[in-house]
Amino acid sequence: MAPSGTAPSGTVADPPPSSTTDSFNPGDTAESDIRPFFVLHKASSSGSNLNGKLTGTGKSKRRIESPSPKISKRSEVERVEEEDGQFFSTLRFKVFETVWSKIEKTIEDVLRNSNSKVFSGIHDWIRESFESIISSGALKLSEAVRSYPVLTQASSKQLLTAMVLTRNLEMVDDLLTFEELELHLKSQGCHVAKLSSMDFSAKSGVGGCLSGLLRQFVMPTIDVADVTILASWYRESKNHENPVVIIVDDTERCCGPVLSDLILILSEWAVKVPIFLIMGVSTAHDAPRKILSVNALQRLCATRFTLSSPAERMDAVLKAVFLKPCSGFTVSHKVALFMRSYFLCQDGTLTSFVRTLKIACLQHFSLEPLSIMLEHLCHDGVNQLSGEGTGLLTEATMKHAFDLPSVMRNKITRSTFEMLPHFLMDLQRMPNPWSIVVLCIYEAGKFDKLRLLDIFCEILDPEARYLKYFSPSEIVNSQSHNSGSNNVIRRVLRKLRDLSPSQLSSMLKSWENLTTEFSEINDKVMELHPFMRSVEAAGQRQGLPNSPKKHASRSHAKLEKELKAMTDKVATVIEFMLREYMKPVESVPFHEILCFKNVDKLQSALLGDQRGRIQLDLLESHKILHCVCCSQRGTTLLPSMHDTSILYTLAQEHADVINLHDWYQSFKTILIPKSSKAKQKSKSSSKSKKRKDICEEPEAPAEALIQARFCRAIMELQIAGLIRMPSKRRPDFVQRVAFGS
Amino acid sequence: MEDIENMEEDEYGFSRNYFLAKELGGASKRSAHKLSDIHIVDEQELRETAIEMKHAKEISELMSDYKTMYSKWVFELRCGFGLLMYGFGSKKALIEDFASASLTEYSVIVINGYLPSVNLKQVLLALAELLSELLKCKRKSSGSLSKGQETFPSRSIDDILSFLHGPQSEDKDCFICLVVHNIDGPALRDPESQQTLARLASCSHIRIVASIDHVNSPLLWDKKMVHKQFNWLWHHVPTFAPYNVEGVFFPLVLAQGSTAQTAKTAAIVLQSLTPNAQNVFKILAEYQLSHPDEDGMPTDDLYSASRSRFFVSSQVTLNSHLTEFKDHELVKTKRNSDGQECLNIPLSSDALRQLLLDLNQ
Repeated sequence: MAPSGTAPSGTVADPPPSSTTDSFNPGDTAESDIRPFFVLHKASSSGSNLNGKLTGTGKSKRRIESPSPKISKRSEVERVEEEDGQFFSTLRFKVFETVWSKIEKTIEDVLRNSNSKVFSGIHDWIRESFESIISSGALKLSEAVRSYPVLTQASSKQLLTAMVLTRNLEMVDDLLTFEELELHLKSQGCHVAKLSSMDFSAKSGVGGCLSGLLRQFVMPTIDVADVTILASWYRESKNHENPVVIIVDDTERCCGPVLSDLILILSEWAVKVPIFLIMGVSTAHDAPRKILSVNALQRLCATRFTLSSPAERMDAVLKAVFLKPCSGFTVSHKVALFMRSYFLCQDGTLTSFVRTLKIACLQHFSLEPLSIMLEHLCHDGVNQLSGEGTGLLTEATMKHAFDLPSVMRNKITRSTFEMLPHFLMDLQRMPNPWSIVVLCIYEAGKFDKLRLLDIFCEILDPEARYLKYFSPSEIVNSQSHNSGSNNVIRRVLRKLRDLSPSQLSSMLKSWENLTTEFSEINDKVMELHPFMRSVEAAGQRQGLPNSPKKHASRSHAKLEKELKAMTDKVATVIEFMLREYMKPVESVPFHEILCFKNVDKLQSALLGDQRGRIQLDLLESHKILHCVCCSQRGTTLLPSMHDTSILYTLAQEHADVINLHDWYQSFKTILIPKSSKAKQKSKSSSKSKKRKDICEEPEAPAEALIQARFCRAIMELQIAGLIRMPSKRRPDFVQRVAFGS
Repeated sequence: MEDIENMEEDEYGFSRNYFLAKELGGASKRSAHKLSDIHIVDEQELRETAIEMKHAKEISELMSDYKTMYSKWVFELRCGFGLLMYGFGSKKALIEDFASASLTEYSVIVINGYLPSVNLKQVLLALAELLSELLKCKRKSSGSLSKGQETFPSRSIDDILSFLHGPQSEDKDCFICLVVHNIDGPALRDPESQQTLARLASCSHIRIVASIDHVNSPLLWDKKMVHKQFNWLWHHVPTFAPYNVEGVFFPLVLAQGSTAQTAKTAAIVLQSLTPNAQNVFKILAEYQLSHPDEDGMPTDDLYSASRSRFFVSSQVTLNSHLTEFKDHELVKTKRNSDGQECLNIPLSSDALRQLLLDLNQ
């Protein structure tokens, strides 16, 4: 944390102390509490404030120069702090916007590229089929006077369909893909409409999706379901020059009969309106067989397309965001591990991965005041930093910067003040040798089907001392396959000796491309070429046909030898790369400015553990309330504890059903201090219910109070969903619903 | 790797607890004590007993701790996330305090999701009106004239949503904040409401702050809703504040066959209905009071009585009222000895009289 009192400290400005609606008044319910909804307040004094906001975008300083009257009443110091806080919060928001939009755009581009091949494939298919329809359609026009020939009827009723296999059971990732496809086809001149499973509900039937179609094609206000409108629209002006495409993105979730009906209707009209149906399927290409009727299936004339898998896309995204020049924002080893395990174990969608990244980015900006420097790093280089205009390198900022753990660790003192820009430059150096090495290892690992995600996570580890534990050339030569560790680099090296000459050569080529901008590594890679050439030469000699057997075996031995020399050499180069450049971001001073490290914050914001936390809240209420009275209780229950907390702790001792009577009695025992227990006991054992003797009068209110508290505690447990209320069949028992987190 | 092990450990713990509980239930005989063994005080008394809040000091300290996070929450809202508050205790006061202290620059609408019925279309209308007002203000200040009065009531939900999802202006900061207390509440629990809320949350001009209390509420949302629409950021904010308003609609466990409570909840439900629907209900209630021995009022009789007083115009409108009543368990149908369908209000005569009094006030 930043020391308090510095302007850009931890969280942003303090909220104004005005309007402290005293937290809770357990009085009567206010009128607004029983209205289904109400307007709490409208945007403050719309005119002036909005004006300020409109003109103030990006020029947050103006807001500081004209503080509102409320603020000016306060002490000078407070005011300055508040202003600074506001300045930084506005700036922070701006920088976050810049950084995130850059990352987002990069991801979008990557995804678009990964799909572009399939998209153009689909478009080519549409074009070709459309042209063939038109050419055969011209024939038909001459025969139009006659009814359709019986024989050609079957084929004319075929609906051309593209089955696009998404290779991902989760639809979320592909929503964007199909939106992109829609845009792509529209840009190519097709008439496109997109329907989703929501449109194919049994409730609205085929009429619903037809009118949905018409709304997208003809006009947005249309409210009838009539295919003839579509047909006449298609004949209008120039519409018929282009094909009509309908995209259904999540076929498996559609209502089968409705989709079948739509297919039947559209296929009847296929002669007049050439419709192309694009169906996104996530399980298998033949998924429609399970949901469509036989009649509808017969009308489909299907072609298959396949999108890239989520893991492939994931690697492409990682590469673009973290290993190629992008925003400068990066994550620590622990955060990367968390993101990986979240992707692999919990969600498996790229969307969630991107969301995690966005949350990490947001948390970084709200936790690290210096994060605002990211903007300058990713835009104009570091020279800007010391410029007057930005006002960033204030005394306070500098103090914070030199208090960062990584700076303290590396014993960089304030005397090296002027070095800051230099260090920052180092952080942001592009081409970054570290990422080049990672990409080279990824290329080598591709032959072992290694995922970039795994490599990335391992290589970020600041603790790893790659060269301390093993020497690459030893591993390449060692015979044992399973040395136990899952180390990626170990795996890459071990795989190296199994590579064929052609694989080696392609790896060499990709290394060459990767390192072009970084001469130190590039030189080493170039040194491999002579070895590669001799391997290739040996390989050609061996491959010569009609060579005598003896000769063949000799040339084989020769090839083996050359290959061995080559892999040894490659291992040396890898060793060199690891030794010289494998410096994870976390070992660099000032890395905190661009690197998000707080994995706990990320986890709690991303994955609220409603079920577990609410039970912990109740069982360990003293830890949250920090009260002295209950903190020292140990395992005994104290009457001072929160009622619901007592009741839920008691519930832990019961089986899956709890006898209300017993529960109430034990609750009562806890609440009543020991001295008065004896009296109470005699009272509760008396069976007479309606007796209202005068002698019992003083204890009656206590009983009522206890019962009221018991009722409320149970009601609260019920709101939390932790118990189920007594049923008619079992009126004296409640059922426990949650067992542990 | 460690994570996976931890997860397995957790799961193991969970199943172990479950089976232990089940075993316990089977092995030792269930307690045969009856609730009726307790001397239960009158329900009215139970309800009216003032319960002193424990740890009031610590709770208010907790609240002021949360106050320091307000600015962070605003930042997160501005960045396009929705805030989801969870943890034990009523979060109503906390969220409303946050909204009135830190969201003054934005209009705020509050939905009380804990109520038994909420009409989302009306909420949408209110949101749309607020937004059009806001946009008009902006247009005026930026010089261009607004054209044409926009009216929303006639539009469909889709149209309103697409209006709310209009293109953002350059400052990206023009939004209305929607506070939903108990987004897992009884009125919003159905998939349709959640879909509407999710679509609403994904609109460019809307940001959402919601609270949940039920342990199973995350099951209301699928991945599309979570990742693409609500875009939740979770915040664990236990307040230990009593659920005063949220609990009004829950029956007291120690008060079976309560009259006052059901009459009170029925009155609240009825007040949220149209006057005509209320009047139809009154006819039914009066009939039931004057014919205590019958099974209920035949539907046809109710129709002719309501029609003659111009409360309904057709069988269809009556049916829609009746569906509303049935949904909120204000009315039950059964067949009488003649096989006629009869409508019956499941309340005692006393409760019914009280209800009529409340309604006529």
